[in-house]
Amino acid sequence: MNKHHQQATTPLLEVHELSLSYPHQENAIDRVSFKLEAGKTLGLVGASGAGKSSVARAILHLLKPDAGAVLFDGQNIFNMDHDTLRDARRRIQIVFQEPSSSLSPRRTVKQTLLEPLRHFAIGDNDYRQSKIRQTLQTVGLDEEVLSRYPHQFSTGQQQRIAIARALITNPDLLIADEAVSALDVSIQAQILQLIQALQQEHGIAFLFISHDLAVIRQIADDVAVMYRGQLLEHSPAGTFFSQPAHPYSKALLSFASFNAPAQLKALQATVEQLPACIYADRCTEKMPVCERLEPGIHNIRHKNGLHCVKCHLYDEKNTNDS
Amino acid sequence: MSAAALNVKDLSVWIETESGRRRIVDNISFSIKSGEALGLVGESGCGKTMTAFAILGTLPATGATIECAAIEINGRDISRLSSSQRRSVLGRDIAMIFQQPGTALDPVFNIGQQITAVHRRHVGGGKDKTRQAMLDSLSQVGFNQPGKIAAAYPHELSGGMRQLAMIAMATVCNPAVLIADEPSTALDSASRALVLQQIKRLQEDHGTAILMVSHDLSVIRQSCQNVMVMYCGRLLEKTDCESLFSHARHPYSAGLISCIPQIDAAKQPRIKAIPGQVPIPSELPSGCHFAPRCGHAIVQCEQSVPGFATDSSHSVACFRPL
Amino acid sequence: MMLSTWRRLKTDRFGMGGLVIVAFFAVTALCVWTGLLGQGWSEVSGNRWESSSVAHWFGTNLLGQDIFQRTLFGAATAFEVGLIVTIFSIVLGTVLGGLAGWYSNSWLDEVILWLKGVLDSIPFYLFAAAIAFALQGNRWAMHLAMIITFWTTTARIVRGEVMRIKQREFVEAARAIGLPGITIVYRHVLPNTVHILLVQSTIVFVAAIKTEVILSFLGLGIQDGVSWGLMLAESSQEVLAGHFGNFVAASVALFVMLMGFNLLADALQDALDTRRTAT
Repeated sequence: MNKHHQQATTPLLEVHELSLSYPHQENAIDRVSFKLEAGKTLGLVGASGAGKSSVARAILHLLKPDAGAVLFDGQNIFNMDHDTLRDARRRIQIVFQEPSSSLSPRRTVKQTLLEPLRHFAIGDNDYRQSKIRQTLQTVGLDEEVLSRYPHQFSTGQQQRIAIARALITNPDLLIADEAVSALDVSIQAQILQLIQALQQEHGIAFLFISHDLAVIRQIADDVAVMYRGQLLEHSPAGTFFSQPAHPYSKALLSFASFNAPAQLKALQATVEQLPACIYADRCTEKMPVCERLEPGIHNIRHKNGLHCVKCHLYDEKNTNDS
Repeated sequence: MSAAALNVKDLSVWIETESGRRRIVDNISFSIKSGEALGLVGESGCGKTMTAFAILGTLPATGATIECAAIEINGRDISRLSSSQRRSVLGRDIAMIFQQPGTALDPVFNIGQQITAVHRRHVGGGKDKTRQAMLDSLSQVGFNQPGKIAAAYPHELSGGMRQLAMIAMATVCNPAVLIADEPSTALDSASRALVLQQIKRLQEDHGTAILMVSHDLSVIRQSCQNVMVMYCGRLLEKTDCESLFSHARHPYSAGLISCIPQIDAAKQPRIKAIPGQVPIPSELPSGCHFAPRCGHAIVQCEQSVPGFATDSSHSVACFRPL
Repeated sequence: MMLSTWRRLKTDRFGMGGLVIVAFFAVTALCVWTGLLGQGWSEVSGNRWESSSVAHWFGTNLLGQDIFQRTLFGAATAFEVGLIVTIFSIVLGTVLGGLAGWYSNSWLDEVILWLKGVLDSIPFYLFAAAIAFALQGNRWAMHLAMIITFWTTTARIVRGEVMRIKQREFVEAARAIGLPGITIVYRHVLPNTVHILLVQSTIVFVAAIKTEVILSFLGLGIQDGVSWGLMLAESSQEVLAGHFGNFVAASVALFVMLMGFNLLADALQDALDTRRTAT
């Protein structure tokens, strides 16, 4: 079973001041911090290029950060010894956006599902056969898919196979990186149904990355907003959708309801002088301090849970009349 | 009663599959008045993009054939024109914008050159006139500095900007009909809202008739007055958007609508989805194509095809409409 | 997967024609190797320049050797050269190209690319002559020269393909569970280059045979046997004297077999390609 014996203080996943730059892109991840409790779902939203996928890859130990830590069950994955890291890898799995390219084209479904079991030396032959059968059932696929190749399936089925591969090691945390974005509405609904079942019946924690706020609304417990590598807001889902704090969050919600922005930046700026608050140049509620000083992360006391926002508007020192 | 800007009668498209010739667009008829926007909604493979290409007469070449009674633009039948005659119609009387603005624009020419090329071909009138028309078309889609955009190359613009440039290119000759194929699907939410807003402006200010093809019902709802639902090449329901959303009569339409994640609705305890998947063209079920997945199907549904009255205000192809 | 490619290949008449031709020559080569045919290639069994007769189907050459026998043996030589050069250069090219692609932009990539550049810039026939000289008439000198230079094209293609495949998510998925690089390369990456390698093999085979023809003209070709190239070289004198038997036999055989390979290569490429686009 995946029900995790939760210690009162240690979240399943904690990302702490994570920073990472690519050769061509500085601060792809810029001091990002958040926590994810076992069995909960965190929706990570933001436009493409905001750094969400980079965060996912850092959590999977596919990228080495320049600074900061990723703590899984309290331990920094970048300091783990070989065996602990191996175990962490077994317990964290990922589902990608494009089902057709996330499955190895020359391997049968059976080979694809067996690979993680073999690699992590899970169970014996009998266990593996029954685990495969069981997992296929969970994702709603028939056993006859085992002998076929990925290209013989529809996108919906391919995504189910990808989810099966992720589930087969009994993970505690599943990262879904735009996992439903490439799917038609009706298939997307089916996959979201599946994810909901995994949340409710298997107690798997999800880091659900998406640019689609309506989808996030369906399945997330908490929402974190990224913009240009920085985390600007992190709040419980209910609060986020009813009372977003950061101007960027408000803008996102407004766009999602088809309210067009007044103007888009006409040309991509080549070399940009980024203002102190990274969102200042597009912010409708900009104050003079926003250009000079980077905002700190402020906590808004809320009964629903932790609500942090990186914005000068919520700094008690700046608000004269609150 | 104003004549229709676009009138399509009995349009079918045949393709070669492994099991013989199949219809992927099955006898479609509809008309759009000037100043009106009609949405064509359906999932991948339903034939909606093929319909758009068939109207233009530019099908991707591999063994597809078009059959129709008439395709009329402002009363003039363009379906049986020779290819050179057709070339003079495309861009002038009818134009299309595509899903991927990055690949639809030629990377070696700047925006201004691409737009003036279209104008020169169909309208002409000298370099100054053409340049002015080009700048006008750019400012009409919302660019504040059309000169700057005209001098830019596609890769220097963001996705949203490119799409707007493509719209400018499609409308520089003031076509009577504009076909938009998934115009906002590949864009971020801000660009999407802006692009849809501009398309609406075209419709209102210039009386352009718009056929918007999309798999996203919420986009259609936002942008169109009327909507047609397509499944496996056939039209299942046609009515105005409000009627569809308040009281869809075909089980498939109702199913699709209930699948759409709502950003302003509270988290559902159980996400709804349509079971099963879209059949492939070589394996279409007999009778009503949707019958195998339909919760309301009766024996008759698999034996005969329900009729579809094209002239009623709310047509539905169903033996047991809701 | 191979089955659907085969099915598609079967419908291509030109491709099947090519396959039949290649098979025909392959069987001939096999027969020569097993001693069933073409054994009399060096025998002086007739007078010089006899025209075709029942005893000598294609007539005899300058030395009175049976041209038909020599043509058959030539098929075996062609296949020997073709197979050896193809197999070794493809394997070498795949390994080096694969390493360069997987470790792209690292020192290993730079070294392999440098090596490729050096070999590509040496004029081939000079190089072949140099190797032949260095190995002092060793029968394998020609094969070696070809292998050492032909691997570069394969390597370049494989490197590019590996770099592309590396980006695909199924490779990331393999990395995410912690599979070591080598495992990922041979289990997930290289199998996806097979379609390219198959087509490349036919191209290299053809190149090897054509190269052998020229080397034979230069006297650097096959030493202990006969090849069509050698026959063509011999015939250059004979044609002046008005005897075309040798020339025609060798040219026609060469032309037909290379044509067969080319048809097969094109058809293979098409058959493999459609598989990729069908979902």
